Amino acid sequence: MISVNTREQPWREGLNVQSLLDEMGFIFRHIIVRINGEYVPEEAYAARLIADGDDVQVLHLIAGG
Amino acid sequence: MGKILKQIRYTPAKIERGYSNKSLYINVGDLRIEEKEVTDFMKEKFVGGKGFDLWYLWNAVTPETRWDSPENEIVMSVGPLGGITQYSGAGKTLVCAISPLTGIPIDSNAGGYFGPLLKFAGWDALELQGKAEKDLIIFIDGNEGLISIEEGEEYPEDSHLLAEELTTRFAGSEEDKVHVSVVSSGSAAKHVLMGMLNFSFYDPRRKTVRFKQAARGGLGTIMRDKRIKALVVKFKGIKPNLNNPADIATLNRIGVKYHKEMHDLDEKQNGMRKIGTANTILVMNKYDLLPTRNFQTGGDPDAVKVSPEVFITQYLTQGLHDGCWYGCTMSCAKAADHFKLLTGPYAGQCVTVDGPEYECVAGLGSNLGIFDPQAILEQNFYCDTYGIDLISYATTVAFIMECYQRGQISQEDMGGLDLCFGNAAASLELLHQMSRGEGFGPLAGLGIRRLKKEFVERFGADPRLLEDIGMENKGLEYSEYLHKESLAQQGGFALTNKGPQHDEAWLIFMDMVNNQIPTFEDKAYALFYYPMFRTWFGLCGLCKLPWNDIVPADNYKTETPAKVPEHVQNYVDIFGAVTGKIIDKDELIRQSERVYNFQRVFNLRMGSGLRKHDKAPYRSLGPVTAEEYLSRQERYDKQLRELQGLDPEAMSLDEKIAATRAWREKQFELLTDAVYKRRGWTHNGVPKPEHLKEIGMDLPMLLEVVEKHL
Amino acid sequence: MKILTHKQEICTGCRACELACSQAFFRTDDRLKSSIRINNNFNTFHAIMCTQCGECINMCTANAIYRDKNGVVRIDRKLCVGCLGCVGFCSELSMFYSDDLLVPFKCVACGICVKACPEDALEILVSQSKGD
Repeated sequence: MISVNTREQPWREGLNVQSLLDEMGFIFRHIIVRINGEYVPEEAYAARLIADGDDVQVLHLIAGG
Repeated sequence: MGKILKQIRYTPAKIERGYSNKSLYINVGDLRIEEKEVTDFMKEKFVGGKGFDLWYLWNAVTPETRWDSPENEIVMSVGPLGGITQYSGAGKTLVCAISPLTGIPIDSNAGGYFGPLLKFAGWDALELQGKAEKDLIIFIDGNEGLISIEEGEEYPEDSHLLAEELTTRFAGSEEDKVHVSVVSSGSAAKHVLMGMLNFSFYDPRRKTVRFKQAARGGLGTIMRDKRIKALVVKFKGIKPNLNNPADIATLNRIGVKYHKEMHDLDEKQNGMRKIGTANTILVMNKYDLLPTRNFQTGGDPDAVKVSPEVFITQYLTQGLHDGCWYGCTMSCAKAADHFKLLTGPYAGQCVTVDGPEYECVAGLGSNLGIFDPQAILEQNFYCDTYGIDLISYATTVAFIMECYQRGQISQEDMGGLDLCFGNAAASLELLHQMSRGEGFGPLAGLGIRRLKKEFVERFGADPRLLEDIGMENKGLEYSEYLHKESLAQQGGFALTNKGPQHDEAWLIFMDMVNNQIPTFEDKAYALFYYPMFRTWFGLCGLCKLPWNDIVPADNYKTETPAKVPEHVQNYVDIFGAVTGKIIDKDELIRQSERVYNFQRVFNLRMGSGLRKHDKAPYRSLGPVTAEEYLSRQERYDKQLRELQGLDPEAMSLDEKIAATRAWREKQFELLTDAVYKRRGWTHNGVPKPEHLKEIGMDLPMLLEVVEKHL
Repeated sequence: MKILTHKQEICTGCRACELACSQAFFRTDDRLKSSIRINNNFNTFHAIMCTQCGECINMCTANAIYRDKNGVVRIDRKLCVGCLGCVGFCSELSMFYSDDLLVPFKCVACGICVKACPEDALEILVSQSKGD
C-alpha cells in the first residue's frame, strides 16, 4: 500500500507518478508532487517509479474564484 | 442633459501616501454635499476600502434601519493601494450597505476604474444617503473640482446603453473617454432584491464601454430605490506616482517582478490572460465539484460543451489587454465581442459581453442544467445590463427549477414559464420579465429566503424540503461551488460575515483533494487565516486573483505553497512602499481581523451575527435526496462504515440518508465550535471582549453591543 | 522598418554608445539611462536593445504603445501610466525604466549611438517590412 495525500491507496509493481495521476483522475496541471518529502518535477512523472509504502503528496494549487 | 439641481466647486485634495484624507457625503434627498475628514483613527483601525465603508455605514444607520430606509447608505472606497499602476489588480472598489436580501451589511467588490478615479478626484470614500423623488445623475469631475447633481429621467436604464451615453457625454472627445467611469444598475433593479452595480471603464482598443460588477447583496436595488440612476466620475492624468508613495523604487521593483512572472508562467499555469477565471470549468467537472442542477451533483458529461477551449476558440477575443485597471497584467477580464443577441429587447444587436467568469459558466450553465455556450453568454449579458446579480440569479433559478422538477410548484405558478433544468429559453424569458417587472420576474427576484416562504404559503410547497434545497445562508444565495463533501468549505460559506460568498475562503481542494486540513483544528485554522488574509485585499483596493491565480516558479519549495508566501511578502512590501507604514505578515492579518470583527459585531447590532444565523441548508452539507445519495453511494456507504461503525448492507436507503445527515450536521456543529474558538468568539459566535481588546478593537460602541450577548 | 543592430565580433565594450544614448535622451552620463546596454560575457560583448518586435503593443495596459511611420515601436508619454508591464513582458529585456522617470524607455533606432561608436560596430538596418 502507498498513501496519497495521507489516504491509503493500493500499490502495484511498476506504478509510476504519471500512471498514478491518471488512475486517480488528477488531471489538473498545476500540481506539486512529492514522494517521501522529495519534490518530483513534471518532466520526471513518467519515469519516476513509486515504491511500496511510499508517502505520495499531490498538492493541487487551484486558486478558486 | 437634465436640469442641474445642485452644483458645487471644491479643491481636489492631493493624495499623500495613498490617502486623500477626505471623504465625500452626498444626500440625494436634501441635496446636501459635505466633505469629511479621514482621521488617523480611521486609518489605524480600518485602513481603507471596506473598513472605511463599514465605519461610515455604522455611523449612518441604527439597528432599526432597513435596506430601503432613507438613512441606509451606499458607501464606496478603494483603499490606500487603490490606483497604483505598478502592481496587478489595484483597482478594486469596495461597496457596503444594509442589504435587501440579508438585512445586514453587504460588502461587495468591483474592479474597473471608478474607485481609483474617485480617489484621485480627491475622495477616499463616498457616502450616498437619502432618497430622491426623481432619477438623478451625480457627476464628479476631479480635474475641474466639480460635483454636480442633475435630473436623469431621460437616460436609459440598462447599463450597456446608459454607461455608453454618459461616457460619451462627459468625455470631451474619444481620447477623453478613458477618463470617465460610470456606476449604474439596470431596469431589473427596481423589480428585484438582487440588483447589482456595474462599474464601467472605457476600452480604447475595442472602442466600447466595458463593465465590472459589485454584484452581491442587492446594491443596485438600493441605488435605484434611492433614485440614483448613475454616478459618474472623471479624472485625467493617471501617473505611477499619483498616490505619492513613500518608496516608489520598491513599488516599481516588485511590480516588474510580478509582470515578468505573468509573462513567463501564466500560460503554463492557469491561462488567466486567455480565458480568465473560467479556466477551471473542466477541472471542477472532472473532480466532481462543478455544481450541477441546484448543487445536486458535481458535473455532467455535457460540461465539455462549455469548456474553456470552446470559449477561447469561438467567443473570446484573444491577444488584447483585458485588465480592469491599469497595470494589471493578469488581464483576466475577458470579453466576447460582436456577440449577437437572440432574445429580448436588444435581439439582433451585436454587443460585447463581459465574461464569462467561472461563476457564470457554473451558475448560468451547469447549475441550471444548461450546456449551451451561446445561452450562457446571452444570460450573462442580460444579467449585466439589467443590473441583476448573476450568482444570486443563478442559484435562485436553480432552486426554482428543482422545486418545479419535484412538483413543489407548477408551471402555472410560474406564470406559464417552463423553468425546468436545461431550459435556457425560459431562463432568458425570466430575465426579460425581471426587467419589465412582469410575470414571474418580481417573485423570483425576491431571492431564495423569501421565495421559500412564498412557495410554501402560496403554492403549498413542502417547507422541510425547501429548507434543505434552498441554497441560501443569512438570506444571500450561495456562489457556484459544489462543496457537499468539504466540511471546511461548508464552514467557508456559512461561517461568513455577509453570507455564502467564496471571497472569504476557498478551501475545497485543500480539504478534499489535497487532504491538508484533516482535523477540526486544521480546518479552524484555515477558517481563521484565509478569511482574514483574503479580506485584507478589500481594505486596500486590491484584487485577490493576482495573489494565487499565478505563483512563482519556486513556490513549490516553500513550506506552505497554498499561502504563496512570496506574494504575501509582495503585499506586505507594497503596503509599506505606498503608505510608509511598515507592516509584517502578522500585522497584515491583524488589520484584517479588526475590520472582520467590527463587521461581525455590526451584524449583531442589526439583529444577526449569532450561531443560529450561521446555519447551512442541508444541501450544503450532504445528500438530501435518494438520487443524491445513490449518485455517490460508494463514498457515502464507506463513510457510514468507517466513520460511524455502521453496516450499510443492513440499512435501508432512508436509514442511510438519515444516519449520514445526523453525522454531517454534527460535524458542522463541531467545526463551528472549533472555528469560533479560533476566532476568539464565544460558543454562540460573539466576539469576546478580551479578543476585541487583543486586536485593538475594544471600542465602546462594539463592547456595548457585544455585552448584551455574553 | 528601422532596427538597431550590433556586431559582437567588432565591439570592444567601450560603452560609448551607452553614454551617447543617455546623454541624448536624459542629459546624463548614466548607463542605466541608456536604451542600449553592452554586457560583458567573458570578454565577448553583446548588446541588448529593442528589436522592434512589437510584442508590447497589444499587452500595454494603457494602449500607449504604437508603431511609428518607420515601424519603430514607441511609447506615447501622454497615455502611458507607468505600470511597467512592458518592462516585465519584454522577451528581449530591452524595455528599461528608472525610478525617477514616469515612463519607461527603449531604443527608437535614432542612430546617435551608431555615430558615437568608434569601431563601427553598430548599424541601423532598414527593412521593407513594416513589422506588423
